[in-house]
Amino acid sequence: MSVDSVPANREFAKQLGITFPILSDFKRTAVKDYGVFNEEQGFGNRATFLIDKEGIIRHIDEGNTAIDPTAIADACNVLQHKKATTP
Amino acid sequence: MYLRLLLSLVLVAVFGITALAQQTPGKTHLKVGDAAPEFNLRATDGKAYKLSDFKGKKNVVLAIYVLAFTGG
Repeated sequence: MSVDSVPANREFAKQLGITFPILSDFKRTAVKDYGVFNEEQGFGNRATFLIDKEGIIRHIDEGNTAIDPTAIADACNVLQHKKATTP
Repeated sequence: MYLRLLLSLVLVAVFGITALAQQTPGKTHLKVGDAAPEFNLRATDGKAYKLSDFKGKKNVVLAIYVLAFTGG
């Protein structure tokens, strides 16, 4: 997902050596749905959402908090642990 | 790096219109426990990805990044 076009993201990924797919949200629909669209500047604010298998949001980091992946990684750990203990 | 080890899938959204020295703090209306809004978006691999594709299968991390994209 990205407000940049797919070709722009491809170039970006190439520059950084990113091998996993990057989504393009060129129409800004997803950033609006997730409430992170910055109308003044036309892009999405920094944010990380952890969504479980049932489509429920389990963790949210926003703004500068989302730069550090520690909290989201911890939340992932918890979710993985739940998966491991729940048949 | 360890995110990749922990997660079934990492989806990264890159928002890099220009060099952004500053950003407005996020202010999503969504809360933990809310249903995540559906999305259906094309990716750099040419495929379209929907959140509902992963329902019942994988946990998803949706990361929206603001980056300094040079356009080069």
